[in-house]
Amino acid sequence: MTFQWQPSSPDHVPADLIVDFDFFDVPAEVTDPVQIWHDLVRRGAPPIFYTPRNGGHWVFLKYHDIVEGYRNHEVFSTYQTPIPPIEPFPVMQPQGVDPPQHDVFRKLLAPMFTPLAVRRMTEGLQHRAHVLISSFAGSGKCDFVADYASIFPTGTFLELFGMPEERLPEFLELAHTFFRSTDAEVRAANLRDIYAVLDGMFRAKRDYPGSDIASTIVTALDEQGRPYPWQDILNCGFLLFVAGLDTVTNTMTYVWRYLATTPAARAHFRERLDDPSAFLVAIEELMRINAVSNLFRRVTHDCDFRGVHLRRNDRVILPNTVANRDPSVFENPQSIDLDRKVNNHVTFGVGPHRCMGSHLAKREIVVSLQEWLRVIPEFELAPEAEAGSSFGGSVMGFTSLKLLW
Amino acid sequence: MKVVANSSLCQGHARCEDLCPEVFATDAIEGKVVIEKPDFPAELEEKVRLAVRNCPEGALRIAKGVAL
Ligand code: SF4
Repeated sequence: MTFQWQPSSPDHVPADLIVDFDFFDVPAEVTDPVQIWHDLVRRGAPPIFYTPRNGGHWVFLKYHDIVEGYRNHEVFSTYQTPIPPIEPFPVMQPQGVDPPQHDVFRKLLAPMFTPLAVRRMTEGLQHRAHVLISSFAGSGKCDFVADYASIFPTGTFLELFGMPEERLPEFLELAHTFFRSTDAEVRAANLRDIYAVLDGMFRAKRDYPGSDIASTIVTALDEQGRPYPWQDILNCGFLLFVAGLDTVTNTMTYVWRYLATTPAARAHFRERLDDPSAFLVAIEELMRINAVSNLFRRVTHDCDFRGVHLRRNDRVILPNTVANRDPSVFENPQSIDLDRKVNNHVTFGVGPHRCMGSHLAKREIVVSLQEWLRVIPEFELAPEAEAGSSFGGSVMGFTSLKLLW
Repeated sequence: MKVVANSSLCQGHARCEDLCPEVFATDAIEGKVVIEKPDFPAELEEKVRLAVRNCPEGALRIAKGVAL
C-alpha cells in the first residue's frame, strides 16, 4: 500500500487504520469525482479507516457497514454531523434529528412526498420540463448544468412552495453559493440569507395559506393543537431547499453525461418511453451507478464496531457510490446493466432517514428524460468544450456539461 | 402462496410497487406498502419474487400456503 501515515490522528485510532484521504480533493487528471472513492477500494484501503483530513473522520467502505450506519441511529446519529465541522450548523428537520423526535416532522412531511402525491405533481413537472427543453432545443446545443439541471429542481422547489417563477434567479443564486462556496464568511452570510428568505416565505404563507407545501407546514398543529416552533418550521424549509436541489442537479448531470456518450443507452430509453415499468428498471440502475451523495453520521457513544474502536462525537462518512458497487452484493458492480434484476442500491439511504424526496427526485429525472428524448432523441458531448470542472464533497458532480445535437 | 409485509421495517421505497403494481401499492399517509393481493395468482409469482428481492429493507416475505 502507498498510503501516507499521518501521525496527528487521535490516539484511539491505530496507525494501520489511518489513510490520508480528502473527499473534497479531486485531482485535475481525474475526470469523474466518483473515481476518488473507487480508487480507495482498488488500492486496498481498510474497509473502515480514519482520515485526519477535514477535521478527521471515519470512512466505511462495505455495503453492510454503510447500511448499518444508516439503520442504527442509536450509534450513528444524524444530529450535528457536518464534515468539516461547521458551528453553529442549522438542525435540518427532520433529517438532522434521530427517532423518536425525527418522527414528528417526518409524519408531517411524508404525505406530501408519497408516490401518490408525486403522481399528482407529474403534469406540472412535464409541463415545466417541456417548456424549458423547448426554449433551447432549436439552438442545437446547451450547457446542460446551467441551462437545465440546475434550473429544473429549483423551479420544482418554487412550484411546491407556491412561490412565483420570478424568484427563480434569486433562489438559484442562493443555492449556488450554498453548494459551491468554500469561504467561511460567504457561507455564513449565505445561510443567513437563506433563512431570511424562508422566514419571509413562511410568514406570507401563514397569513395567506394556499395548497402548497410551505402552507401545509406553517399551518400544521401539533398533538396539543399548537403551531410548531418557528425555528423548526424554518429548519424544515431549509432541509427541503438543500436536499432537493444539488442532489437532483448532479444526478441528472451524471445521467445525461452517460447517455451523451452511450448511443445504446439512449436507444434503450427511447424504446421504452411508453413502457413505464421497463423505464423504471433502467432508471433504477442509473440511480445505483450514479450515487452522488456521501452522507455523514456522528457516533453517539464510545463503542466497538466491527472490531474498530469508535469514540463519541467521531464523524463517519457513508459513501453511497462505494456501497452500490460492493461486489459482495452486486453482480458485475462496475458495469451498467439497464435490465438489472436485483438492485438494492442505497442511493436514497435506507432505514428511518431514507430520503423522503426520493419519489419526487426520481420523477423529476424520469419526466425530464422522457420529455428530452421526445424533443432531442440524439445528442452528444460537444467536442471542443473544455470539460468543465468536477467537484467532490458531500455531493459530487460537474460544473458544466456541454451538449450538441 | 402468500406475500406478507413487516410494516415496521418498510420505509416506503416503493420498489415493490414499481416492480409489481398488480400486488403492491403504497398508502397516502406515510407511503408504506399496502399489499392489495396477498394471495397472488401463480402467473405473478416471478414478479412478486423480484419485488421481494428488491426491497432494500427486507420488509417483504413469501409464505407458503399457511395463513399468517
Ligand atoms: S420496497 Fe420494501 S420498503 Fe419499499 S415500500 Fe415496498 S416493502 Fe416498503
